[in-house]
Amino acid sequence: MSNSQDFEEKERERKVRRKVFYLTFATLALIFGGFLLWKLSSLILPIIVGCLLALAFRPVKDRFRIRWLPHEIQVLCSFAAIGVVLFFAFNTLRQHIPDEKQKLEFKVRLKYKLNEKYRQLVAKSSEGKSNPVAALIEKELGPLMDKINQALKLNPEERDLFLKYAGGYNGKPPIQNKFVDYFRANENTTQYVIPEKTLAGTVSPTVPAAAASTQSPPAEEGTTLENKLSAWMLAPLIFVFLGFDNGQIRRFFISLVPNRYFELSLTVLDRLDDAIGRYLRGTLMECFLVGLTLTLGLILLGIPMGIAVAIGVISGLLNAIPFLGTVIALVIGVGYALIAENITPLIPGLNPSNLALYVLILVIIVHVLEDVVFQPFVIGGAVNVHPLVVVIAVIGGSLIMGLWGMLFAIPTVVVVKTAVETFFKELKDYRII
Amino acid sequence: MGAPAGRKFLIELAGQSRFNGLIPMPARKFAADKLLWETLGRWKRSSPELNRIQFLKTVPFFNQLSNRQLKRVSDIMFERTYEADELIFEEGQPGAALFLILDGEIAIEIYRETSTTRLAVLERGAFFGEMALLDETPRSATARALERTRTLALYRNDLNGLVYRHATTACQIYRSLAGMIGDRLRLTNELVQMKPPVETAGLG
Repeated sequence: MSNSQDFEEKERERKVRRKVFYLTFATLALIFGGFLLWKLSSLILPIIVGCLLALAFRPVKDRFRIRWLPHEIQVLCSFAAIGVVLFFAFNTLRQHIPDEKQKLEFKVRLKYKLNEKYRQLVAKSSEGKSNPVAALIEKELGPLMDKINQALKLNPEERDLFLKYAGGYNGKPPIQNKFVDYFRANENTTQYVIPEKTLAGTVSPTVPAAAASTQSPPAEEGTTLENKLSAWMLAPLIFVFLGFDNGQIRRFFISLVPNRYFELSLTVLDRLDDAIGRYLRGTLMECFLVGLTLTLGLILLGIPMGIAVAIGVISGLLNAIPFLGTVIALVIGVGYALIAENITPLIPGLNPSNLALYVLILVIIVHVLEDVVFQPFVIGGAVNVHPLVVVIAVIGGSLIMGLWGMLFAIPTVVVVKTAVETFFKELKDYRII
Repeated sequence: MGAPAGRKFLIELAGQSRFNGLIPMPARKFAADKLLWETLGRWKRSSPELNRIQFLKTVPFFNQLSNRQLKRVSDIMFERTYEADELIFEEGQPGAALFLILDGEIAIEIYRETSTTRLAVLERGAFFGEMALLDETPRSATARALERTRTLALYRNDLNGLVYRHATTACQIYRSLAGMIGDRLRLTNELVQMKPPVETAGLG
């Protein structure tokens, strides 16, 4: 009797000890985890992107796996392949990143072209001066143009640099005469709405501020870009290792689950994996299709290949943001069309002056195609989120994390929604709640 | 440096048999190498993974699989330990996995308001919950550990995944499952055929 009582007593003590141990351990893990999360917050995004990509591309891996090749060699090979692709992508990207001279040229060209278009717009429609539309445009766009001019204005150092480059400097050929002409024309741009609105006093303080703001960022940008790149090296690493994971990670987490929830957790994980994977693959496919259509359309309109591809890639990526993606694609596309000079259109009746209109039509066509053809075909109602939730999520995401927040708002909502739904359904099915 | 010395020792060891002196040097060397490999083999064989494969080989459900195939199956199985009196699953829960007893004892029971019916007590090598491999129908009985029990669980969707990765292995398992269900059907048929005479006997 006393023996068994002793045993029971010891068991009870052991239970208490176990609880204390678990609680202490969990608290320490939470504190340590929180600290790491706070300190390594720049790594979170690459890790998430790597995980999501691995999840999205898993069926591809299953399809193309070579049975007789050892697992480790396949990991190495795919890693090498991704490395080579990234290397070439990075190299071509670096070649296309404008240097100091091209930046100056671009700035001058952008300012000149925008002013030219604006003057055309206002002058054309305000021939009789009685045209209310032109007056409205002038009233609305005038201040905006002034602001743009202010932002694009070369500061004294930049002006000196431009003049140096114009004569050939730093081993570069001299700037084309065209740009020098633009530069001279830009020097003479006047403010469009001085007399009515702005007094001399209010303008002058903004000029140094603008100059300072354009001056300081580049130096900082260089270092943060380096940091970001090294953090982003994690993404392909995680992509490959998760992609080739044979379920070891899942096994580890399942091994932590109490027996009571064993089958439940297997089922929930599986359902989540399936739903989120399908959603991600659908979204990626849709983005790819939108980018491809836009690129082809732009090439058809005669925009140079490199720029068409760049606009296509950016719009395709941003297409993951509902509503805004299309708007940004429109802004970039039309913005480029406004300053385009040498185009070789495949469609007759196109010239640089009406290119912007065609780009606008193209973006609308792509958007309609996306809504009517791509979306039902690709996503097929995998996860349906109410439009109101979409709007709130996108705005909320932008408030919390800016552009990245917007990009990840909808995937996050989908993950949370699917997780909660599946979890509660299974908990009920297993009669736990 | 170490390896030749070790081999020399093994050669001496092999020479210390009752045929000492009779065995020529090459044969002794051969014997030494054999000893070395056997030792290595035994050391390798004692890993938990190989133990598990050895165990799976003895289970009739998997006896048609080769060692390599058994390793694949073993790789997708989860080892779970249940304390005495712990429930493995309950009647009415959706089934998700087949359980295989590594060691210990499991009782399959049906609880009703007034009574508990024990259908079977299963021991090492037995499996239960196999219908979960086919679909999500609710469990027809409750499984309870009678003592501390180690089990291997095979999850339905993992087996489904195996169909795409290692079709032959998965097919063999499904064939075993089909065979087992066929056997049961035959048994049920026999029981049904036996039943009328029993009833008439009872009536008469």
